[in-house]
Amino acid sequence: MLRVDHAGEYGANRIYAGQMAVLGRSQTGQLIQEMWDQEKKHLAKFNEILAENRVRPTLLLPLWNVAGFLLGAGTALLGKEGAMACTVAVEESISEHYNSQIRALMEEDPDRYVELLKLIKEFRDDEMEHHDTGLEHDAESLPGYKVLKGAIQLGCTAAIFVSQRL
Amino acid sequence: MAALLRGLRVGRALRGFGSVPKTSSPQCNGLRRGFHCAALRLQEDKDKSIPVPPSSAASSTTTYHEHYQAHPSKNNTATHMQEAPAPEAGAKEAPQPNTSYADQSGEQGEEYETEEQLQAHILNAALDFVQLHGWTLEAISAGAETLGLSAASSGMFQNGAGDLVLHFIAQCNAQLTEQMAEQHNQVQLGQAEPKKTAEFLRDAVETRLRMLTPYMDNWPQAMSILLLPHNIPDSLKHLSTLVDDIWYYAGDRSTDLNWYTKRAALTGIYNTTELVMIQDSSEDFQDTWNFLENRIQDIVNTAGAAKQAASTGEAVAQGLLGAAVTLKNLTGINQRR
Repeated sequence: MLRVDHAGEYGANRIYAGQMAVLGRSQTGQLIQEMWDQEKKHLAKFNEILAENRVRPTLLLPLWNVAGFLLGAGTALLGKEGAMACTVAVEESISEHYNSQIRALMEEDPDRYVELLKLIKEFRDDEMEHHDTGLEHDAESLPGYKVLKGAIQLGCTAAIFVSQRL
Repeated sequence: MAALLRGLRVGRALRGFGSVPKTSSPQCNGLRRGFHCAALRLQEDKDKSIPVPPSSAASSTTTYHEHYQAHPSKNNTATHMQEAPAPEAGAKEAPQPNTSYADQSGEQGEEYETEEQLQAHILNAALDFVQLHGWTLEAISAGAETLGLSAASSGMFQNGAGDLVLHFIAQCNAQLTEQMAEQHNQVQLGQAEPKKTAEFLRDAVETRLRMLTPYMDNWPQAMSILLLPHNIPDSLKHLSTLVDDIWYYAGDRSTDLNWYTKRAALTGIYNTTELVMIQDSSEDFQDTWNFLENRIQDIVNTAGAAKQAASTGEAVAQGLLGAAVTLKNLTGINQRR
């Protein structure tokens, strides 16, 4: 479970890196940079947790490295709306994932996981914020928004599934 | 009342055995069984008349025999033996059929808390006979006999010699982990200096391999047993936990692909050193330790070389970029007209 979260934050980092590479010098550069910095903090926190709990990182990290970057760069090439649409799709997937983890932890033993629950809730709120930011910045005005969003979310679900096992 | 007395004698028998440590969970199991049996006692009044000989250190083995033979037919009869320690617990549990073979804690409460502990006891005793019989069922039978059990008890081990070998390596790994944890604590408390990674790895592997020295003559047999297809998953699991533990105590906290490369490297070192050790005839295996030292140096060198390559690559890339920009300036491409 922690493995998937770690992989997710890693992937998100790479997506923002890709977006920055293309749009870094434009108006939205500042905004993307902010969101990226928050993701970096998330990743650092997960690195800590993984090491503490001696969890194995996913073997597919190099894959997420490349795939994330390409996704970020590719959508950014579609313009600012593209980048925002990508952000919306990914953040929605991640929030959904965190929510289901929170539900699972609450079901199992809320007292034992108090710290972890707090952390995941905090991160989920951050991700929702990114999601809303994306919407604010005209993500939906991208032509083919629904298709792109669907495709990206499908990819995220697949990534989560695989990272849990591998 | 009679059961109470029997229970007290059980306690004495357990203390008499001494070497088998009591753990809390089988005790809880016993408590539950106790209540289970307390609930069933009313139904089993007639079973009380079945003579269960009083347990004492001397006759406990016969009691064990009785249980072992009685087990298939009378699952519930002996559970009332555990009634004495049970009364204080308040849990009432719906009676469940005691059909799980592994869940015999109530029945075998006389000598051993659980079947696993009994098996461990036998296998430990069997290790003494490995030099004589090799890693085989004969060794297990001989071990069982020293505990006063019948030689046929080795039939309990479905995997035969594999069980013995796996038990041994699990034990060795646990010992090593204990030592490393102890060292770790000492470093935390500031009572010892932290070792450098290479040194730590070398010491850990050497310590672990030295545990094999008493059995070195038969170790090739053990290795081949571990390579049998039905043993491979377990032996791989033990190996990977061992390597993970060693790296963890060596200070590795990586969360990227290095996690895998480090463990793969150490696995390779460990396996090759083990192979070298088997055919090493030098004094105190000095050749093996030299080999180990060299392999670890290799890894350290490769890591260093990789780092250097990475930083050189970066420097080269930056140099090229700089050259490209200079060229653009020279040819005037950068100027807007």
